[in-house]
Amino acid sequence: MKRITGGGVARWVLALMLGCTTAAQAETIKIGVAGPLSGPQAAFGEQFWRGAEQAAKDINAQGGIQGASIELVRGDDACEPKQAVAVANRLVDFDHVAAVVGHFCSSSTIPAFEVYAEAGILSMTPASTNPMVTERGLPTVFRTCGRDDQQGVVGAEFVVKQLKAQRIAVLHDKDTYGQGLADSMKAHLTTLGLKEVLYEGLTRGEKDFNALVTKLRAVKADAVYFGGLHSEAGPLVRQMREQGLQIPLISGDGIMSETFVTSAGGPKFVAGVFMTFGADPRKIAAGKELVERFRKAGYEPEGYTLYSYATVQSIAQAMRATQSREGAKLAAWLKSNAVDTVMGSKSWNAKGDLKVSDYVMYRWTATGQYEEVQ
Amino acid sequence: MNGSGEGAHGVGRWLREAAITGGIAFLLFAPITGVTLSGYTLEGHWQRPLWLAVWVAVGRFLWSWFRARPRPSPALSRLSGAFSLWLDDHRTHLILILLLGAMILPWFIGKYWLNVAILAWIYVLLALGLNIVVGLAGLLDLGFVAFYAVGAYGYALGHQYLGLSFWAALPFGALLAACFGVMLGFPVLRMHGDYLAIVTLGFGEIIRLVINNWMSFTGGPNGVRAPFPSLFGIDFGRRAAPGHVTFHEYFNLPYSNEYRDIFFYFLLLIVVSGMVFLVRRLRRMPLGRNWEALREDEIACRALGIQPVTVKLSAFGLGAMTGGLGGVFFAASQGFVNPTSFTFMESAHILAIVILGGMGSTGGVIAAAVLLTVLPEALRDFAEYRGLLFGCAMVLMMVWRPKGLMGMRRARFRRSGVA
Amino acid sequence: MSFHIFVQQVVNGLVLGSVYGLIAVGYTMVYGIIGMINFAHGDVYMIAAYLTAIFLAALTLLGVQSPPVIILLVLLLTIAVTALYGWSVERIAYRPLRHSTRLAPLISAIGMSLILQNYVRLSQGGRTQGTPTFLDGSVRLFEQGPDQFVQITHAQILIVVMAVLGMGVLWYLMQATAMGRACRAVQQDRIMASLLGVDGDRVISLVFVLGASMAAVAGTLVTFNYGSFDFFIGFVTGIKAFTAAVLGGIGSLPGAMLGGLVLGLSESIFSGLVNTDYKDVFAFSLLVLVLIFRPSGLLGRPEVEKV
Repeated sequence: MKRITGGGVARWVLALMLGCTTAAQAETIKIGVAGPLSGPQAAFGEQFWRGAEQAAKDINAQGGIQGASIELVRGDDACEPKQAVAVANRLVDFDHVAAVVGHFCSSSTIPAFEVYAEAGILSMTPASTNPMVTERGLPTVFRTCGRDDQQGVVGAEFVVKQLKAQRIAVLHDKDTYGQGLADSMKAHLTTLGLKEVLYEGLTRGEKDFNALVTKLRAVKADAVYFGGLHSEAGPLVRQMREQGLQIPLISGDGIMSETFVTSAGGPKFVAGVFMTFGADPRKIAAGKELVERFRKAGYEPEGYTLYSYATVQSIAQAMRATQSREGAKLAAWLKSNAVDTVMGSKSWNAKGDLKVSDYVMYRWTATGQYEEVQ
Repeated sequence: MNGSGEGAHGVGRWLREAAITGGIAFLLFAPITGVTLSGYTLEGHWQRPLWLAVWVAVGRFLWSWFRARPRPSPALSRLSGAFSLWLDDHRTHLILILLLGAMILPWFIGKYWLNVAILAWIYVLLALGLNIVVGLAGLLDLGFVAFYAVGAYGYALGHQYLGLSFWAALPFGALLAACFGVMLGFPVLRMHGDYLAIVTLGFGEIIRLVINNWMSFTGGPNGVRAPFPSLFGIDFGRRAAPGHVTFHEYFNLPYSNEYRDIFFYFLLLIVVSGMVFLVRRLRRMPLGRNWEALREDEIACRALGIQPVTVKLSAFGLGAMTGGLGGVFFAASQGFVNPTSFTFMESAHILAIVILGGMGSTGGVIAAAVLLTVLPEALRDFAEYRGLLFGCAMVLMMVWRPKGLMGMRRARFRRSGVA
Repeated sequence: MSFHIFVQQVVNGLVLGSVYGLIAVGYTMVYGIIGMINFAHGDVYMIAAYLTAIFLAALTLLGVQSPPVIILLVLLLTIAVTALYGWSVERIAYRPLRHSTRLAPLISAIGMSLILQNYVRLSQGGRTQGTPTFLDGSVRLFEQGPDQFVQITHAQILIVVMAVLGMGVLWYLMQATAMGRACRAVQQDRIMASLLGVDGDRVISLVFVLGASMAAVAGTLVTFNYGSFDFFIGFVTGIKAFTAAVLGGIGSLPGAMLGGLVLGLSESIFSGLVNTDYKDVFAFSLLVLVLIFRPSGLLGRPEVEKV
């Protein structure tokens, strides 16, 4: 009995708090931006924040959403699931956000999205590519990037058909994203009738991969696929070249950062590295002008910056069209309408994945730039 | 250095010292904060180290000045002495008041702080476990997280493969962790102090790495789901599983997941209270006395016929069991476990709680656990400065109170208490 | 495993082991003298890596071209500033705790490690940084065809040479100079040493400075060789180096170097022969096994219990 009355009190207090914030919501709509703003993956968190910040600024300058302006709330998860859950609870319960852009590491996104879904808040990740994110039947989760299983297919086709490699080594960084990528590569190689010659994981945060490189020489690999991030891919490719191993390295979207070149020790080491990524948002007409503005402000909008921008745009457009902040309504709208974003037109299927995945293969050049492989 | 401030060289010397400190600070800050790497070139921010150095110099001056103030008057220390005496007499009342407070709390703080409070109680549980090992038995364990992980994964994997429910997992996880504790303890307990520390650290890392690498069994980095407990078969979800009934339907309430968290909070409160009671009892029993005796002087104990290995093993096993219990609760509260939650930093965090709390003092450990869980959350408002401030807080608290918030209370006997 | 591959793995292990050894020295010296585990030492090494990159970039901007001059200047500057960091860390976080419980400095060291990491992250950014390849070029040994060779880069040779040299200098300082004798005296009995006129605090500061200098050498060489670092490398490498120090027998200088080499070699050979995923599991299991059979490490002196 006490439990029930107590619950009543709590609900009353909660309602009071909610009442206060709805009054304030007349002018602002809070959107959470969650990601690794600290910790080893902070570079990606910065991309998230820069993109979302610019998007909010641009939307507000154009009059906001029916007069209400967007206010962003930072949420730092340091790519750690426990912190991700705490941040998610905080965004939901404390900041009362209307939608969330975020979580970078798939291992953080997966548990955090449960919290948002339970609260009925729309959540969209610009970067988590692990299939599990949208495979759990949560109605209000979306992503504006592709899925690992799609990346692996593109990667495997390329390695086998274009590079004509026969002895392929598959490496990963023992994390949800990297291993997911490596597994999907491995699976698709099997369907193409090939078995990888080596399948091993390196440790994130380490810099010495010489033993692994020597092992690549020992198994006589003629191509290496790496599922992981630039911070490990850089030293890996450098040590391969320094041991005289000139075989191509293929990776996924995790190395899409100019930091990859710096951490590899210069452009001459990254020449001939391939990666899969969505069609370059910097080349899409809609994004050109925005890219220029970013560059003028002294920031190269690489990696997920524009993904984050597009995510905020999609949320704003859904809110404008439905005149609602309710996750379920926004989700229903997004699943049945296409959105014009800085990265072109985007539409989602019933799971919340993009209908069209546009992974293409890029090659890093000897000048430290990347270009699409034709 | 010893700025007890004889008037002869007061302010002048402080100024000189402040200038020297500021100079050193500038040398330290200049290369790291004054120039930043951008690609392969540098960007200068010369004003940053200057300002930092000035602040350090000012801080140093104020510190000297503060140190020269007269010490807090004896009246104050007498007052605090009286307070601790009063505390001794009214211990039970105080505990009751705090317990009442802890019972009222969850109804008012909202879901976010409720979750923080749940986490705080989990840390209290873990710290109580580690306190048995480090505080009472004096064995430095840097890999306590291993038992925490065993408990958490014991529940998650037990649910996945054996269909274990939360209630069955509580004893199962605790026992499993205790077995691991004894298994580890057996070969290593004859090692000395810090060698034991590094071996436990290694053990903690081994457990985490195996969990991370053994993809086919543990799910590797993807983690495993761990469902929320039910109350006598009543679920807390929005929709019930077939054949079950949900809490809000049963009690005819509108759905809110807050009931679930409040239920969990009270469950934890009961377990923690039970643990506190157990530890208090144990300390008065021969086993507890042996732990503390062994911590003070192992050779003397052996001479008195105490078996060090059995006594240490019991401490290790009991500590591990508590850690495992904490792990089961952690898994259930997160709904998901993943190896990144069990890094060395987690061990360090729990150890910091025990040491800050004052090794061996149960009340201190609880206070420190709450402080060190709430503090990082409260610091969230400082966004990117959070880690820095938390580190500073750890150093300052240690410098301020090297013996912990509440120094250890050695067992005492009161003449009047003897029947 | 063919001959070439095996030799290459040994070379890999020696290089990695030298780095571990250089850092392990800092842990071992501090432990030997005040009996505390200096968890912030790994982060001092991380700061050295950043300093190296900064000084390297600065010298390049100033137009210094000759590699030997650059190596020498960068090394000296990095050692100087890193040593200052080591000294300050001791002054701020450990000296006030000199007379408190044994575990208080441990926690304050963990706090210090958090401070240093976040300080570098806030001022230099969270992203992985790098330096341009500076010492390119390599030597090929036993070349017998396109795949049959052992390749060693110049930077790797420099690491091994400098590690041997650094250890030699340190050994000489500790064994043959008045300063070293003071250190050893304090290590034996601090009160007795102070009665004989050795200033304990000063010697402890000196030990921190020496330890940080060795970490600086490691940081510089690692940056030359791997060219990539972030604010978290101190933690990752620090735990390994600490393991190496314990493996060799904590408190013993040659032990630290030996421990480093054993750890480096076992990591690279295990990952060559068996599996990279489990190389750290193997390294830690090795540590546990060694300690079970030799409870004070490979070269540590067994503790004598006095009653």
